[in-house]
Amino acid sequence: MNSAQSWIVVADDTAASGLVDLARSVGDEVVAVVAGRREVASSLASAVDRVLWLGEPDQAPVEAYGPAVAAVVAQATPRTVIGATSPGGRALLGAVAAALRVPVLAGVSALEADGDQVVVTRSVLGGIAEHRTAVQGGTTVVAVDPGGAVAGDGDLAPLEELAVTPLAATVTEVRPAAVAGADLGGARTVVGVGRGLKAREDVALVSDLAAALGGELACSRPLAEGVDWLPKERYIGISGQHIAPDLYLALGISGQLQHMVGVRGAKVIVAVNSDKNAPVFSQCDFGVVGDMYEVVPALTAALGTGS
Amino acid sequence: MDFGLTDEQQLLLESLDEVLERECPESYIAELDLNHQPPTSFRKAMHEAGFMSLGFPEEYGGTPVDAMTLVLLAARTARQGLNNGYGLELLQAMDIIEFGSEEQKAEVLGLLAAGDVPFALGFTEPGAGSDNAAMATTAVHHDGVVTFNGTKTLITNALQSRYLLLMAKDPSVADPRQAISMYLVPMDAPGITVNRLEKIMWNISDSCEIFLDDVTLPESCLVGVKGNGFKQLMRNFEMERLVIASQCLGLAECAFEDAASYAAQRVQFGKPIGQFQLIQQKLTDMAIKIENMRNFVYKTAWMLDQGVPLKSQGALCKRYCAMAAFEVVDEAMQIFGGVGVTVGTRVSRLWRDVRGHRFGGGTDEIMVHIAGRQIVKDHS
Amino acid sequence: MKIVVAYKWAPNPQDAVVATTGEVDLSRAKPAVSEYDPVAFELARRLADATGGEVVGLTVGGPSIDTPLSRKAALSRGLDRLVVVADAELEDADGTRIATVLAAAVRAIGDVDLVLAGDSSIDVAQGQVPLTLAGVLGWLGLAAVSAVTAADGGLVVERSLPGGTTVVAVPTPAVLAATADAVVPRVAGMKDILGAAKKPVEVLDLAALDVPAPGATLATLATAKPAGGERTATIFDGSSPAGAAAQLVGALRQAGAL
Repeated sequence: MNSAQSWIVVADDTAASGLVDLARSVGDEVVAVVAGRREVASSLASAVDRVLWLGEPDQAPVEAYGPAVAAVVAQATPRTVIGATSPGGRALLGAVAAALRVPVLAGVSALEADGDQVVVTRSVLGGIAEHRTAVQGGTTVVAVDPGGAVAGDGDLAPLEELAVTPLAATVTEVRPAAVAGADLGGARTVVGVGRGLKAREDVALVSDLAAALGGELACSRPLAEGVDWLPKERYIGISGQHIAPDLYLALGISGQLQHMVGVRGAKVIVAVNSDKNAPVFSQCDFGVVGDMYEVVPALTAALGTGS
Repeated sequence: MDFGLTDEQQLLLESLDEVLERECPESYIAELDLNHQPPTSFRKAMHEAGFMSLGFPEEYGGTPVDAMTLVLLAARTARQGLNNGYGLELLQAMDIIEFGSEEQKAEVLGLLAAGDVPFALGFTEPGAGSDNAAMATTAVHHDGVVTFNGTKTLITNALQSRYLLLMAKDPSVADPRQAISMYLVPMDAPGITVNRLEKIMWNISDSCEIFLDDVTLPESCLVGVKGNGFKQLMRNFEMERLVIASQCLGLAECAFEDAASYAAQRVQFGKPIGQFQLIQQKLTDMAIKIENMRNFVYKTAWMLDQGVPLKSQGALCKRYCAMAAFEVVDEAMQIFGGVGVTVGTRVSRLWRDVRGHRFGGGTDEIMVHIAGRQIVKDHS
Repeated sequence: MKIVVAYKWAPNPQDAVVATTGEVDLSRAKPAVSEYDPVAFELARRLADATGGEVVGLTVGGPSIDTPLSRKAALSRGLDRLVVVADAELEDADGTRIATVLAAAVRAIGDVDLVLAGDSSIDVAQGQVPLTLAGVLGWLGLAAVSAVTAADGGLVVERSLPGGTTVVAVPTPAVLAATADAVVPRVAGMKDILGAAKKPVEVLDLAALDVPAPGATLATLATAKPAGGERTATIFDGSSPAGAAAQLVGALRQAGAL
């Protein structure tokens, strides 16, 4: 095993700072394998020590590069391999993990290197507990949130282009999402709304408050997947976004684990719910028991007048 | 004695949970209650999931189930906080499946499939309720048609229903036990006037008075055998009492859960009120009553399934569960204090709705009338 | 088309008891077919009905995953038959180990065109196993699949990705993981539940499957209950909305959150 190396596997996404930072924390040398466009590979050149680029994907989905990425990584057998939790990232990690026959650990908050062994601090079972886990006898493979654009030190690593053949599959059409993607991860204030909202047109009520706070609008799963009132990028929860803003407001959200795990990192959580028995009230810092249809406009007004 | 559920019952309850979670959240029920509307979309979803034909014979697209399973489902639906949400329509439809003509069956099953309530039961009159001999609505057969005259009142779901399952008597027959027949009468037949009665409970089920003024229909509207109306209606009375008792159980469980979590959270004098023994005693007695109700309901369903004659068991069960459920819900409201009567607190709705079960389907007192007679007879 | 649906029989951690030491007691959490897996059952059923194929359920894990209830729970949701690998050795197995066993079972089933899976499991919730399974099989693995139809000897797959809806032409065999809302799965009715008891179940012996040894092992060094679970809520009464709003804004200013 190559203890000095940390590898990152990058799936056609320039947002990879989370991968690079974690790789740096446990590796003297960081090597990136990029299954994506040249511009993605180039964007990493100033942040890592080597960039292995698998060529222009053209119409191939990044997932088609799984076996090629796995072969390259398996040959090097680095101590650590880090990828993104995005669908493409997980596919590349799955191929790597399959080739090395090692687990993929997610929910990772820190890595500590100790010889060939890496100790992983991670949340398990949807965030109800935290484990420190030692990976013994093989490569440590972890999936992390991709973070933002990478910032480098200025030294450009050369692109090493490898000739590989992806699996057969063709992207035939991309229909861009109607709404621009939300930057929930970077927002200091996030206003989340749940099933307490009764109609699609009432979203305005909540977006007014988000605007008054200068924050982003988010929602629990039923609003994005059950009724489609908000785009899926704005859904927070176990299989959606995980965020850690300074302030999170849960409006008409009951507080099921599956949602709350996505905001556990928030500094301050405020809950507004008409049901005083709602579990959210035991997981917030401030709560208002009342009808969100009355409390939310009052809150918007209170912020507007600076009271 | 096995108090466990079968795998099938457990899975069916999980399926019901899925439908309830998707189609019947508290916000939905609260809105229906506020606007006095029926749970049509929920009923439709229940039909699509196969719940609206449970207990029907297979030739009518149904799946035979035992009384225990129906009772579990009725109680679970009520535990969601929904009153009259499941069970009673099935029993009504069974009357038609058993006694109706092919046309009547097709019509009723079709309406049930669409999430509609096929018919309201036209039984109670201003001068006649449990005392059916006093029934005054007449059905006169002549020239291949039948003409109805009379007044029905407190008819549940009349505004939602396409038909009235009308009980009316032939004035030329002296013996009241042979005078009453059952008819399936379209609500929009000329001569029918429906008038909504505003009431303080059961908001999702309307209650109406119905005036029949020379309503004349072909004789094919007769259900079953002429003169057998009351006997036909009685067929499902035992099951009806049991379904009502199950609903009382479910509604009481719902109120109990709300009250217990409120007691654990509401802080007064520096600690949650649940820490005070006066509140603990209330919760304890509520839990005992719920346990009693559950055992009573399960045992009665078991007797039905085993073919053990119920005698007065159904009446005993209905009386106990309606009264005990109201005691539980009333104590739940006491634990909530003033908050409990505010609109939007679920316990206030449960309190109103459970109260209705102390007379709907036969008053507490009529249950004594039925059971008491039987007890004395058994000891004579 | 022969479709395998890889699903999990798992407890919901919502019902777990977590000690202050971080030890998790799942004994009160009732296991069930994992929350998002019925979506995969439904997609598989529709695709199989459209192509005249077969849907085979596949689950692997510890001995507790194979009970009459767990079999019926899966078989009542549109499967034609079920294949189970239940072995004490797989109790608490990591995702890659599970994926290698699933892959061996897929090979044992034979002639499989497509493996479908749900978005993620209710307990581990990483959405990783289907993609690792694809890696083991050497097949294309795509997550975030919102629709799938058969076309010209292959599949047309729609994916719901951050950049928009992406359509991919995929040759078989492949592994697809559905989004949680790709379809609304049907609810198992009494007929389905009664019918489930009559469907065939095949139990594969782990020892008889060709499963390679793990390349690494995990050792838990310490457990902890995550911070942030114990927020002390200050509750304002919203019966006067303006009053509550003013109080809340004041409190947030004081806490430095505004």
